[in-house]
Amino acid sequence: MAGADKTSGRNQGGCDQDGIRRRLDTLGERLAEVQARHAPTPLLDAGARGAAFGQAMRLGVELVAGVGVGGFIGWALDRLFGTAPFLMVAFLILGAVAGIMNVFRTAKAMQAKAPPAGKDLPADMDDDDD
Amino acid sequence: MIEAYAAEGAEAGAHGAAGAGSMPNPMHQFEIKRLIPFELFGVDASFTNSALFMVIAACAITLFTVYAMRSRALVPTRLQSVAEMSYTFVAGMVRDNVGTDGMKYFPFIFTLFMFVLALNMLGMLPYSFTVTSHIIVTFALAAIIFLGVTVIGFWKHGVGFLRFFVPEGIPVILLPLLVVIEVISYLTRPISLSVRLFANMMAGHTMLKVFGAFVVALGFLGGWAPLAFMVAFTGLEILVAFLQAYVFAILTCIYLNDALHMHSH
Repeated sequence: MAGADKTSGRNQGGCDQDGIRRRLDTLGERLAEVQARHAPTPLLDAGARGAAFGQAMRLGVELVAGVGVGGFIGWALDRLFGTAPFLMVAFLILGAVAGIMNVFRTAKAMQAKAPPAGKDLPADMDDDDD
Repeated sequence: MIEAYAAEGAEAGAHGAAGAGSMPNPMHQFEIKRLIPFELFGVDASFTNSALFMVIAACAITLFTVYAMRSRALVPTRLQSVAEMSYTFVAGMVRDNVGTDGMKYFPFIFTLFMFVLALNMLGMLPYSFTVTSHIIVTFALAAIIFLGVTVIGFWKHGVGFLRFFVPEGIPVILLPLLVVIEVISYLTRPISLSVRLFANMMAGHTMLKVFGAFVVALGFLGGWAPLAFMVAFTGLEILVAFLQAYVFAILTCIYLNDALHMHSH
């Protein structure tokens, strides 16, 4: 078979190109079919999007809350000691750091809970690749 | 406080009416109304529409669980299996996040989850009032959780609970700075917990109201596009109502786990 291919490749180049084109077409069809099968259903997508929105909201609020609480503590201490505005500035920065740390921890916890990259695809994914 | 809120609402209403012609004010739905005026030691403790919906939620949960479990059948009816599912759902959440020794706090987590879920879901009914769209309500819930969890931490570990604020493997020079940051990070918990629930509920309901106004304003010819969006968005809002109750409960579990076991970081 391989020998026959070789001779046809050398002697009749046009025929071989047709063969390649045909193979490309069937490959494209198969790819489209596989992609259609693995495209997420709309309902599932809405749920995943909602969950992702919830996670994003969680991270955002976490960051802002750190700055807010830090600023409030600084403001209250400033009022107590009469050192405005130095403590508020210092605690705003500390609050921002705390907020970033919270986001970092939350993201780490989310990552630990989520399946590792590449393993979240359906199990029947493999048989179409080869 | 309530007067100030009402005045603000009226002012916003006037602005809204001036700015957008006949569009209804989207914030009007959050107005607190006194149903039974009542004063206790000079404090306004009136029975409001917010209080009414909390009572409705508490009654609805009690009625649902008691009525659903009345037969205690081995093969559950549909209603009974819903009640059992909510039980196993929360029980699994507590067991996964706190551990078996956290199961004695299960009644609290279950009550909290069902209460917030019922309030969020009641808010999805037309003409109803969304209690959780007020930050003071969610903050009160979060503050109770925060104080309770802190008390449990000190009760379990004594003064040793303060070690929770001291990260391990840190040079001594950096310690004062990091302890302050850790304390601030601990204090953000009630804020982020309450703001998340309140912001989600309020933003969603405002959006629904605004798009509802679009449907009316665009009339029979153009109103279909916002109406279709509203239908999809209502579905998303129901998802958010459940998700936020879930997040509220699961974060309570995580905080409880920190207080009981102190190995979060």
